[in-house]
Amino acid sequence: MKALQVVIAIGVIFGIIFGLSAASYWLGAWIESGFYLPFGIGPLVKAGLPGWAWVSNLLILVLVFVMVIATFLTLAERKWSAMMQDRIGPNRATIEVPGLRGRSLGGVFHIATDALKMLTKEDFRPKNADPLLFNLGPILAFAPVLALFAVVPVGPQVTVNRFDAVHRIGLQVANPDFGMLWIFAIASLAVYGTSLAGWASNNKFALLGGVRAASQMISYEVALGLGLVGAMMAFSTVRLPDLIQGQTVQLWGGSVHLGSTGPLAFGIPAWGIFLQPVGFIIFFAAAFAETKRAPFDVPEGESEIIGYFVEYSGMKFGLFMISEFAEVVILAAVTTAIFLGGWHIGFAGDAWLTRNLAGSPIVLGAVYATIFWVKVLVLCYIQLAIRWTFPRFRYDQIQTLGWKILLPQALANVFITGALILLDPSLRWLAIVGFVEIGFVLALALRRKDQEVGHGADDAHLPADAHGHAPPAALPGPAAASHH
Amino acid sequence: MAYKATKNLTGDLRERLYLPELLRGLAITTRHFLRNLFNPRDTNVEVVDRKGPNLVSTVSYPEEKTPYPPGYRGLHRLVPREDGKPRCVACYMCATICPAQCIYIEAGEYETSDPASESRVIEKYPTQFVIDELRCIVCGLCVDACPKDAIRMDTGLHTPSEYNRLGFVWDIPKLLQGPAVSHPSDPWNKRASSAPPPHQHREPHIRIGEGLVPLKLPSGEPHKRTEVTDQPIPVTRFLKE
Repeated sequence: MKALQVVIAIGVIFGIIFGLSAASYWLGAWIESGFYLPFGIGPLVKAGLPGWAWVSNLLILVLVFVMVIATFLTLAERKWSAMMQDRIGPNRATIEVPGLRGRSLGGVFHIATDALKMLTKEDFRPKNADPLLFNLGPILAFAPVLALFAVVPVGPQVTVNRFDAVHRIGLQVANPDFGMLWIFAIASLAVYGTSLAGWASNNKFALLGGVRAASQMISYEVALGLGLVGAMMAFSTVRLPDLIQGQTVQLWGGSVHLGSTGPLAFGIPAWGIFLQPVGFIIFFAAAFAETKRAPFDVPEGESEIIGYFVEYSGMKFGLFMISEFAEVVILAAVTTAIFLGGWHIGFAGDAWLTRNLAGSPIVLGAVYATIFWVKVLVLCYIQLAIRWTFPRFRYDQIQTLGWKILLPQALANVFITGALILLDPSLRWLAIVGFVEIGFVLALALRRKDQEVGHGADDAHLPADAHGHAPPAALPGPAAASHH
Repeated sequence: MAYKATKNLTGDLRERLYLPELLRGLAITTRHFLRNLFNPRDTNVEVVDRKGPNLVSTVSYPEEKTPYPPGYRGLHRLVPREDGKPRCVACYMCATICPAQCIYIEAGEYETSDPASESRVIEKYPTQFVIDELRCIVCGLCVDACPKDAIRMDTGLHTPSEYNRLGFVWDIPKLLQGPAVSHPSDPWNKRASSAPPPHQHREPHIRIGEGLVPLKLPSGEPHKRTEVTDQPIPVTRFLKE
């Protein structure tokens, strides 16, 4: 029963994503080609604005998708962490509307209470803080995060034929030639916000937090960039749509013929994560450090070593929080685009889908965009799960990881990738090495250790209904214990 | 003093590589997440007895309440009589023994001419009986001290929450609750009314011997009892003699 509710809720979420994606395509097509005034009150406005579909993308992708997902992640962080820790999580906020009275709906109303709390709290500024820099801090921390999303392609370019004119509408705000370099450049800007916040607060602890944030973020920029070099080399481009296109190539595969719908190809796609598992790990870890979330949350350390936004209250603190979650969404989106094949299903049926939905391009685009967002949500879940699984790294461990582990590995990865691409331009050798690496890690992870009882670390050996607390079947008596 | 971080290289390859252990950790959290996401929560208030794939061990308090142990001392109440008035006779014993000094009593006295039936059966009653629940430490000494079984801690309740401090000052209308209690020894049960009792007051040491086997004196004569007369024996007689 509950499983059915969960499945229905997930379906509703997918439906909303699909509808919003379709709406985004529609709005882009409207802006490009012109529109009728509603209710028959006006004639057809044929003076469209060709090339201005990015406005609708800016509005819907950045302000609706990223911000709404980030807002929901603030709730998901608490609700999901509760479920990972066998708690219930926020469920107390309800609204007095008939039919919803007394129902928390998974705690969604806590988003509204949080927003109200942030907006109505006192906006405090320390006595000797610099007003300009103090106000600039959250802005500089928040703005680059949203700007990052400009180059992320969410949906494919589809051809919309409207009012006797052909328009190509994509779900991407901008598609510059420098694609991925924009991400590196803008991601570096976020450090200004955190350092300024720490400096302008006129608080020694905030300053120390800002310094920690600055050093951590600058350290990981190197690994962040070098981790992606392999992917750039493999697909010979830095433009994200081209990267996604490059990942549709199927390294090995076949096809079956499905009646009148044509052949359905399946196989292993040349996804970045298969070609570049090491690059994926390096990029993901480095970008995770850039988001300043656990286990890299030394700059914040909300509960113990207070960080750069101690002195911020109200919605300024809210901006820091929401920018953190927006970074989570954007990191997931960038990772999806570079390593997980973007909007493609990958393993089967992309060409089949494109061929059979060619008559309704907006539906096709929306289906692909939905696939993209689903991958993004899965990666968001993984990031949240990482945050609730791992303890915080010590500061020297962070620097060691950044400089002594990730950086040499990234450099080695660049050379090995280059050699393998040179050896086999069809990327198959690269994929084989990637699968060997993945298999090695998985084999190590799945290998069962001998001495692994009694720690509670693994409850797989418990019966399914044991609730995680079942005592051993037979407790060893003192005589048995003395034999050990 | 600088902290010397030592490198622990004792782990095997899996631990030193970190990534496999990381995946295992993620698998554990995700397993818990999925089990709790897709399965209904067992709402058994005895948490250790919960069964099923859902692992949540929370007791969602206002809706689910853990049963209190049998010896639990709950919120106290003033025990009512069967006619609804408090059993309390305003003897101040509870207020005296209360270590937190949270009980305040004002005693009233029934008038001699009061037509109410029990007017002289019990002489005093509380006009004010106030307990400051914020000061009460729930020690139960008042229950032990009460000679009339007029205050009990058998409700099994917490003090309910209030919006101001005055709400925690409980007076008779709030304290007087629960089932009425009656004992055969209660004075209002022994006498039908406040009229003088039908029997005559007799001297106590005389009554002690009533109904016993008559004593034999050494002379063989039966012990001569003191005559019981219908006349009331003036108390002052003993003092004069």
